[in-house]
Amino acid sequence: MRHPRHDLDDLLGHPVRFSIVALLAAAERAEFGFVRDHVEVSDSVLSKQMSALEEAGYVKVHKGYVENRPRTWLSLTKQGRQKFARHLAALREIAEGNGAPELAS
Amino acid sequence: MESAAYDGAVAEPQLTAEQARAALDEAGMRAAQVHRNDRQLCWMLLLVAAAYLGAGVVMSLSPREGRSFAGPAVVVMLAAAIVAAVVIGLRIRAYGRASMIMYFVSIIAFNLWNSAIVSASIATRFWASGQPSYHFGLSVMVAIIPLLIGALLIGRRR
Repeated sequence: MRHPRHDLDDLLGHPVRFSIVALLAAAERAEFGFVRDHVEVSDSVLSKQMSALEEAGYVKVHKGYVENRPRTWLSLTKQGRQKFARHLAALREIAEGNGAPELAS
Repeated sequence: MESAAYDGAVAEPQLTAEQARAALDEAGMRAAQVHRNDRQLCWMLLLVAAAYLGAGVVMSLSPREGRSFAGPAVVVMLAAAIVAAVVIGLRIRAYGRASMIMYFVSIIAFNLWNSAIVSASIATRFWASGQPSYHFGLSVMVAIIPLLIGALLIGRRR
């Protein structure tokens, strides 16, 4: 039987990236500041992780203006949602104990 | 060889069931944070319902004869509600797809239902010159039902 850990996504293994993607997975779009405040990271840390996720094609960045102020909105791409869903499915399997090494009796 | 096998095992640490559960819990918590933020949409629906209800109350209390305060009061009330809804809308920092769909479905359902209520009220002469003013209020109370259902559905999301 194939161990579910093989379906875990390396990029989502990082705790901050996992938090960002988990937050964006529940949202159609989220503002940069909203993600920063909820994931509890600095602007620079979020920017750095967002660049990695954007480069991998998991996240899309949208820039716009609200009341003449620049706003950055973030959303997961279709690929990002699929990768996250697969990662969650693997986590569920591991949490249920599937793939645990069988002990010789 | 034994050493190489041992090194390999160390280089690829396995996620424990406990850690996997913690990650799943976190994913649930993050989703809840977005759903809590979605409640701004719920407040927008309640605001429209309150403004419409307020307009109904003003029209119900307004005297049919002589100088009426109803017209300007209703206009001020609805304008204030629109401004407040726009302010809340601009403050929304994240939204889920399901909540946004529920919001727009509620608004569309309200418009259709409200049109039906107004048409029925006129056709059945529930709103007629000889009828008491509170009939407006009763129709409004029925008309805002889709907004209240939408607000309830969005507000109850976890």
